[in-house]
Amino acid sequence: MANPAQTRGLLADLPRLVILTLASLIILAPFIWMVSVSMKPQSEVFSGSLDLIPSEFAIAENYGKVFDRVPVATYLLNGVIVCFGILIFQILFAVPAAYALAKLRFAGREVLFGFVVLGLLVPYQTTALPLYLGFAQAGLLDSYTALIAPFTCSVFAIFLFRQFFRALPDDLINAARIDGMGEFSIVWRVVLPNAWPAATAFAIFSVVAHWNDLFWPLIVIQTGDLYTPAMGILAFRSVEAGEDYGALMAAALLVTAPLVIAFLFAQRRFIEGITMTGLKG
Amino acid sequence: MVDLSQNAALSRRHTRRIDSDTLAAWALALPAIIAYLLMILLPLLAVLALAFTDYELGARGFAFVGFDNFAEMLRDRTFAASIRNTFAYALFVVPLSIGIALLLAILIEDGARGRAFFRAALFLPVVSLTVAMATAWQYLLHPTIGPVNTILRDLGLGTPNWLGASEWVLVSLGFIGIWQNVGFNLVLFLAGLTAIPRELYSAAEIDGARSPWARFRLVTWPMLGPTMLFVVIITMTRSIQVFDTVQTLTQGGPNNASEVLLRTIYQEAFHYFRFGYGAAVTLVFLACVLVLTLIQTRLIDRKVHYG
Amino acid sequence: MDGIVVSEVSKRFGDTQVLRDVSLEVGRGEFLSLVGPSGCGKTTLMRIVAGLEGVTSGTVCIGGRDVTATRAADRDVAMVFQNYALYPHLTVRQNISVPLMMRRLRPVQRLPFAGWLSPSVRATLGAIGEDVETAARMLGIGALLDRKPAHLSGGQRQRVALGRAIVRNPSAFLMDEPLSNLDAALRVTTRSEIVAIHRRVGASTVYVTHDQSEAMTMSDRIAVMMQGVLLQVGTPDEIYGNPQDLRVARFIGSPSINQIAAHAGPDGLLCVGGVSVGLRLEKPGNAVLAVRPEDLHLASQGLAGRIEHLEYLGESLLAHVRLTEGAETVICRLSPENRTRLRPDEPVHLAFDHGRALVFAPDNRRLAARPLPSALREVARG
Repeated sequence: MANPAQTRGLLADLPRLVILTLASLIILAPFIWMVSVSMKPQSEVFSGSLDLIPSEFAIAENYGKVFDRVPVATYLLNGVIVCFGILIFQILFAVPAAYALAKLRFAGREVLFGFVVLGLLVPYQTTALPLYLGFAQAGLLDSYTALIAPFTCSVFAIFLFRQFFRALPDDLINAARIDGMGEFSIVWRVVLPNAWPAATAFAIFSVVAHWNDLFWPLIVIQTGDLYTPAMGILAFRSVEAGEDYGALMAAALLVTAPLVIAFLFAQRRFIEGITMTGLKG
Repeated sequence: MVDLSQNAALSRRHTRRIDSDTLAAWALALPAIIAYLLMILLPLLAVLALAFTDYELGARGFAFVGFDNFAEMLRDRTFAASIRNTFAYALFVVPLSIGIALLLAILIEDGARGRAFFRAALFLPVVSLTVAMATAWQYLLHPTIGPVNTILRDLGLGTPNWLGASEWVLVSLGFIGIWQNVGFNLVLFLAGLTAIPRELYSAAEIDGARSPWARFRLVTWPMLGPTMLFVVIITMTRSIQVFDTVQTLTQGGPNNASEVLLRTIYQEAFHYFRFGYGAAVTLVFLACVLVLTLIQTRLIDRKVHYG
Repeated sequence: MDGIVVSEVSKRFGDTQVLRDVSLEVGRGEFLSLVGPSGCGKTTLMRIVAGLEGVTSGTVCIGGRDVTATRAADRDVAMVFQNYALYPHLTVRQNISVPLMMRRLRPVQRLPFAGWLSPSVRATLGAIGEDVETAARMLGIGALLDRKPAHLSGGQRQRVALGRAIVRNPSAFLMDEPLSNLDAALRVTTRSEIVAIHRRVGASTVYVTHDQSEAMTMSDRIAVMMQGVLLQVGTPDEIYGNPQDLRVARFIGSPSINQIAAHAGPDGLLCVGGVSVGLRLEKPGNAVLAVRPEDLHLASQGLAGRIEHLEYLGESLLAHVRLTEGAETVICRLSPENRTRLRPDEPVHLAFDHGRALVFAPDNRRLAARPLPSALREVARG
């Protein structure tokens, strides 16, 4: 199908370009308006005009409001701490387990893998209520621990890494054994350095998922100090109210920007990462 | 006799060797196993148990009530609305987001112009904070000042209260859901499409598949089978787990018209503190996900042509 | 004994017996090739020596130490893998230093920046660096030290794999078909290089290959394995000229040894299709007469046949001859000038040097055969 792509003239390509441009406009509409409204004064927002460029800029006012009333930087920092905390533990726990499942012959391997598959079928929201009770009992509500701990064992990561490790040649691991490495050294010195594609793919998948998550933070976090970006927006909406769209869009833009910018800088990585994790899951 | 004892020593040595392998494997898996037990398996068993109790947050004790919670669900109007809405939402979002994504993926793949730009633009919602983007949609869909209604008004059409009217709210949320999922499905389809060997299209053309549609039927569709299976399952599961947009935009309203399963669980447990009942709804949610995954795997597996 | 001693090793995977009571000794500094068709168990045997596979029964000693239960890491063996198994994420220099780092530094000392903090670590690292340079110079890969394996040619990767193995001065050196991924020309040059390196390093070496010409050209001794059993161990000369098993005779040599169905009468006289071939066995019965292509020559009398086709190889001429007696086609290696004389379909007679003919029992065992005194032979032929 793509054969004639290179040679086709602009005219013949036009229907395709029109449809794709239209679709892109619809997809990009909220982003475009978000940027536009975040620069408009309230009066202009309420006039219902369709102009994208404000006739009068209110950037300082809108963004100032956000920084004045909510600690956006804290929210973003919390988001970073939580996402990376989760990611580090996920990698730390999943990689050795996946290596054992992929490359070692041992009693109980099938049982262990069975549990991994079981875990894949269970959405994380299922365990939310007992986990809440557990954290409440342990006095850990309202803490980074509560935000990070439930996600430390990613069966998905184990599954993904196992698939990837299985493709590594056995002789590479045998060579490492003959060179004098123990199994722990092999995991961190040979297997992981050769699994970067899988690791970056998973990292992107994990960060996107947890940066976005609202359900769990909403349950375990009450204090504003520990709000994640998603909760921060929710809080800003209710505090600041409802209809001050200029400030609201400014806040939305501020919390959306980090990941979007990261994406724009490493598009291929992101798309490959999501594709890989998507297809393996 | 000497031989026997030697053999015994040997086999003991051999066993120890195997044990050391097994030991290493379990040691490597140990952190994951502990986290799995604490964070997945025990809570899963607990939610199973909790669903058969009348436990309320803060209560001193609780009693096992058998299937009372499930019986109550049958009478519960909110729950009925919740499950109806969740499925309606999924049935709206899944086919449309998949169909649109497939169409766009084929269009992108079909030419070189603007390929990278379109792919990036369509993918953007995937990496954007859902709550923030929901807020942007709220503005776009605002009944009076929102651009959507402004345009409709200029065209002389009706201006519904998209997120405030019970007949429109699910459609609006579903539209946002499609907006979110198209980019995700699109890149999966793109990966599937690029994996199809080019020679197959040439072969199809030589075999007489003249129109693009004939080639699509002959090559693309069957070769995309495995990808399709994944995409359907993933989109289905993601749709059933809809929560962020509902919580941000409608809080289940108006009048339960956008109440969905995860929100019901959240509401029952953390507003009414009815953990027993919430756990029972959780089990229904889990059952839905499992059954749908199973059905799809079975159904589609039979038709999939693995290349 | 100082080298490698494998005694009565058996190995089964589930129901499959891969090795059956294999005993083998590799002397100190000896180069021993392990040959056999694929699936004969030679690689399994090597992996057992390396410590990558456990035994079902039997023992392995290396350098006088029983290592049957010792892990690969603690056996002091080095191995070159078929696909080289270089660490793709490390440079050539790092690849070669890995075995030294693992042995000379404790885990704490291997942490990054340890060299900054401790002078002794710095000294060890310096020594490792020198050893790596020495090994690299010896293999002529000094210029490649800072490249990653992905940027090397097959031959260069092969050298790096060799470097990683020799840098340690191991007590045993194992090579698993190290040349099979090289092209034909490179294989021949690398073959002699490996022999030269072995001579300089002097470690006991086990070399697994399915290519009999590699085994013949490189080894001090050859061990031929089939179906999990060691058939014969001997010098290339013994294996080629004096095989104790028909399967060994068949496996070594190219073109393959000719096999002619024969029968020994009550007097022990060996006949092909009723015609005596001038050999006497100890017992009557069916047998296989095996003659190497170069031991057959054209004669006025002898085994009658007709030329089926001719292959001119430059240095020699291979004649495929269908024998009149029996159904076999035999190949005989002739001097090239016969090319102008012979035509397909031409009737010929083949004779052979009786001292070099081999006779085997139907169960592949070698049978003793004595040539008849030449006078008697003439009579028999007449």
